[in-house]
Amino acid sequence: MEEIVFGIGITALAGALATIAGAAEDTESDIGSQGDPNSQVQLAPQMGYVHRIFNKAIAGEPPAYGLWVALGAGLAWAFMAMQINPILAIVLGSALAVFVQGVYATTAYLGRTASLSKFEQPVYVDILKSMTTVTMAHAFVAIFATVTVCHLMNSALGHPFPLPLLGLVWGIALGAAGSATGNPFYGKERQYQNQAFGAGVPIAASGNIVRYAEAGQRNSIDNGFFSAKLGGPASGICFGLIVFFELWRTVVFEPVAAGWGAILVGVVVILIFAIIDRYIEVWARKTFGPYVAPEEASS
Amino acid sequence: MTALGAPKQTAGVQPPTGMGIVLSIVLIVIALALAYLLLQMAGLVALIGIVIGGALVAFGVHFVPVGGAPAAMGQSPGITTGVAMLAAGAGLAGLFAGAWAAPLGLAIAVASGAIGGGLLMAITCTMVNIIYVFGMGIPAASGKVAKDPITGDTFPEYKSQGTEGHGLPFVSWVGGVIGGALGGFGGTLIYLELLGVYQAQLPVLLGATVEQIAPVAISLAGIFAVGMFLVNAVLAAYNITGTIEGPHDPKFKRFPRAIIASAVASAVAGIVALGLFQLLGVF
Repeated sequence: MEEIVFGIGITALAGALATIAGAAEDTESDIGSQGDPNSQVQLAPQMGYVHRIFNKAIAGEPPAYGLWVALGAGLAWAFMAMQINPILAIVLGSALAVFVQGVYATTAYLGRTASLSKFEQPVYVDILKSMTTVTMAHAFVAIFATVTVCHLMNSALGHPFPLPLLGLVWGIALGAAGSATGNPFYGKERQYQNQAFGAGVPIAASGNIVRYAEAGQRNSIDNGFFSAKLGGPASGICFGLIVFFELWRTVVFEPVAAGWGAILVGVVVILIFAIIDRYIEVWARKTFGPYVAPEEASS
Repeated sequence: MTALGAPKQTAGVQPPTGMGIVLSIVLIVIALALAYLLLQMAGLVALIGIVIGGALVAFGVHFVPVGGAPAAMGQSPGITTGVAMLAAGAGLAGLFAGAWAAPLGLAIAVASGAIGGGLLMAITCTMVNIIYVFGMGIPAASGKVAKDPITGDTFPEYKSQGTEGHGLPFVSWVGGVIGGALGGFGGTLIYLELLGVYQAQLPVLLGATVEQIAPVAISLAGIFAVGMFLVNAVLAAYNITGTIEGPHDPKFKRFPRAIIASAVASAVAGIVALGLFQLLGVF
């Protein structure tokens, strides 16, 4: 009994840390414009819209975070093998991984932006100086929290995978959750505020991103401020729920029915999410209503 | 060409060529023969398991609704990330769960892997719809079919002008969960087959007990399973080219080609993983 209570406590802590990681990850990727709408930032100068938005997307978020978290976890693992206190080891490992992220951000921004010079897009050195440190700070929070989750899974809950492999697995899952949940909010709601709310962006408007903020030209710190209001927290909740439910169903229900209990609970949780999703879908159809009459659309 | 970059003529069925099928069969037979030569029946069974696992991963990827950058602007339906990335995220979460349940036996481990992958997709797809509805104010509408095959909802009147649809219709949600589950199932199967072989080989090679070599065997099997997962996910992504809405999308019918290709890729990669220690001995 005591073991299960301890397991639930660790599960809750891991879920909370994962929530923080998800929120920081999405905000970081939106400041760096590394998520999927990054193609619009790349396209804008080609359509004649020169901008001051950071763009470091040369690989997608999931593989990039897979690398950074695996690196942080691997270094932390090595420090722990050198008898360094686990908390200090995780901080040191994450800090070193963040320097790699900083180098990546710098070279990716310079390379990507320089390739647009024929469309008269300048490389802004002040943007490079101010944004890189901000993405590094957010990346540190995301990497540190995820490596800590992996360490808890490995040492407290007894997962057989070594820390670096867990880092790779959960780094990719973190990137996938953040990129899936947070990106539409940044892509549609932030980059295309010139389009009507409650409708998708017409294909003809591609590249025509909003470049001006309330005071002067918009930059990526404005985007981080915007993402932190909904996209970031939603990504955090997404990743937090994934980590929590994966651990919770195993820790509590694996002893039931020789392991089938955890599987059954997993199926029930999936069905509950199916009901929530269907409810939201029907609510949206009723509340927002059809854009055109059904007869007209089917003709 | 549409503005989304996919040529129209590539949609729908694209059967594999005769030459491709013959080459694939030859390569798979060579790999199976090598597995038998290296490890006798145990190797043969393990490689068959790896091929089935790889094919399941590639098949599962076709179910996952992926919209990429257009989805991030509400320009096409799906989840806003790349096919390989999302499928890898789901499959690896499944592998995490499957590896944890490995001591409980094959059936529970693969079932746990499938549920792990399905659970990640269920939560992700639900959160995606929450953002579409409450963050962007748009209802789900498919651009590929007029009606949701599961719920019967009609789409054309909910689709905003100038887009190919947006949001995540219920059929795509179900497709995502099935895809995640197949990925988790396949990935765990690959892991377990490799783990079994390494646990048999390593104690003899290093003169140690099964418990002593466990960390090495688990790490190697895990790394190879992750690698083979990525091989199959990327391969399936190339077959899909760009975006797919799920099982109702015409591109879904391309899956036989991906299954054949991933069976070959898994057989070739699998033989390298199985014969790892023999290969190391050669050098």
